[in-house]
Amino acid sequence: MLDRLFKPARDPLWSALAAVLAALIVSFVAIASSGRDPFAGFGNLASGALAGPGPLGETAIKSAVLILTGLSVAVAFTVGLFNIGAEGQLIWGGLAAAVVGRFDNPLALPLSLAAAAIGGGIWGLIPGLLKVRRGVHEVISTILLNWVAIHLVHGWLVAGPLSAATGSASISVAGTAPIARAAWLPRLIPGSRLDLGFPIALAIAAAVWFLLTRTRRGFEWRAVGAGSEAAYASGIPSGRRVCEAMALSGALAGVAGAFLILGTEHKYPGVFRTGYGFDGIAVALVGGGTAAGTAIAGLFFGAVRAGATRLQLSGIHPSFAELIQGIAVLLVAAPRIFLPLWKRLRSSSEPAASAPPIPTVQP
Amino acid sequence: MNEILDFAPSLVLAALGGVLSERAGVVNIGLEGMMRFGAFAAAAGAIYSGSPWFGLLCGAVAGAASAAVHALLSLRFRADQVVSGVALNLVALGLVTYLLQSVFGSAGVSPPSPALPRDRFGHTAMAYTALIVPILFHLWLSRTATGLRVRAVGEHPRAAATLGVRVLSLRAWCVLGSGVLSGLGGATLSVGILGQFDSRMPAGQGFMALAAVVFGKWTPLGAAGAAFFFAAADALQRQLSFSLHAADLRLEGVFLALPYALTLLVLALGIGRTRAPAADGVPYEPEGR
Repeated sequence: MLDRLFKPARDPLWSALAAVLAALIVSFVAIASSGRDPFAGFGNLASGALAGPGPLGETAIKSAVLILTGLSVAVAFTVGLFNIGAEGQLIWGGLAAAVVGRFDNPLALPLSLAAAAIGGGIWGLIPGLLKVRRGVHEVISTILLNWVAIHLVHGWLVAGPLSAATGSASISVAGTAPIARAAWLPRLIPGSRLDLGFPIALAIAAAVWFLLTRTRRGFEWRAVGAGSEAAYASGIPSGRRVCEAMALSGALAGVAGAFLILGTEHKYPGVFRTGYGFDGIAVALVGGGTAAGTAIAGLFFGAVRAGATRLQLSGIHPSFAELIQGIAVLLVAAPRIFLPLWKRLRSSSEPAASAPPIPTVQP
Repeated sequence: MNEILDFAPSLVLAALGGVLSERAGVVNIGLEGMMRFGAFAAAAGAIYSGSPWFGLLCGAVAGAASAAVHALLSLRFRADQVVSGVALNLVALGLVTYLLQSVFGSAGVSPPSPALPRDRFGHTAMAYTALIVPILFHLWLSRTATGLRVRAVGEHPRAAATLGVRVLSLRAWCVLGSGVLSGLGGATLSVGILGQFDSRMPAGQGFMALAAVVFGKWTPLGAAGAAFFFAAADALQRQLSFSLHAADLRLEGVFLALPYALTLLVLALGIGRTRAPAADGVPYEPEGR
């Protein structure tokens, strides 16, 4: 039991790499089959993500958000819950940051981030409580909570009580009043939108890694995720641990929302459909549910997202990034697809090899 | 009432798809993606053939094709069923937008497609389908030998296997059927209601269908009833919102959020609390213990 919990996650790494590689090959073929030049397409993708401080900055700000929503999903995974609600938690976090960020004071930035963590954390705690107390499946409750958040915030709060616009302003200029300058995430390099969010996201990823793998609480979370009855029998209060992890999961998504508001939007806009919450699921799955894997996957998908804006130069819609992401998740979902290949590789290198271990996606 | 019969069919069909798959023991989070594929294929088929009926067929086939991916991953390769469904939704989101843009040159909406004809009461054939299919489905599931086998593989696949039922292939057929139903549900949105494809489709209907499955206790009649209830709540919400001038008060969001919040409340209070099929979501290993 302990062995299994502390065994470093090796298997998901190669299956994730294989999945990402296969997804790139599939999208390469897809571009080619639609009669466009795949090399030019991938060239534009790479230059949009990596060429110079501007594109690198775009990659960094998108990665920062994806790493946090990915960690949000990954933390819920550790206690065995599938959090599809990162989108709703991100929305509340962003709104909390936009509201607190309007008060101009020297501590505006940390206060806004804290408010976002609390706002997202509360929205994450609800499905945890519903699961533990009432047995409501978290997949259903988080889906419903996403829609409640989307409609309440966009259709009411931002359009009505918190709206800066008076009278009948069009929806594109609607939104809350701008936040104070002190609450902006400071930009780090001239000529690039790279802001303080990126180093904060990496630091949070390191902190989550430490929490999950090096502390008693992290161990207990994983024990609950491995089997809540066994964990309960050994004296771990499973219900409490599930709620704690879900609150942290929501808080991480909330901070991701704050990055978008404090870093780029500088107010809560009237139209704010990011999809980053759902992308977090892809990031966490491809990252194998570990903090380090999630950070790496977040960097990769951030680069794809940033690069996709230049795909238009090749006549390809930026939604292509979502396609690459989706295929990667499909392949990661089923590591056994690669099993025959793995077997062949093993048997050709060492003919008398015993049966290869069956890789599993964690958890 | 007319509005309910317009909006309910897509939800009813997708919810029945969810029931079929889950009663056979395969969780289907991918309803949303299957509806999206169905809606797009139906619009494209109707535009190119000129016939909305051919469009419906395309929608059903596209739904089944995407369901085949889910079946392959979760049954053949034993992928986690929830993860596989989520992946399907992600692929649907990206691939359909990509196809929409490559085929019709716009990432927003398709050109107008031929729409299903309406009878003198203003209903399309899908409205009657949504009333009849749940009853047929109920009779099939509860009264026929095949229906019994489906329920058996969802409750206790190993026991079913010892009686000679081929668990994996039966499950695969049920997932395919689930794809046909949700593909038709998606097609209802594009060629049935709007007469074109909108890239926001199905706008969360697949997820609502999932809630209807749970709400309806995994039974065909219950899920269809829940879907009608959601459609009615939505129509009522529209009416209320309209008559109270919610748009002027900028209160629309509160009304839009109500059906979701109420569903959650009902689930939380445990009204009609019940259990899922025993083997729902559990991969079946023919060689296992």
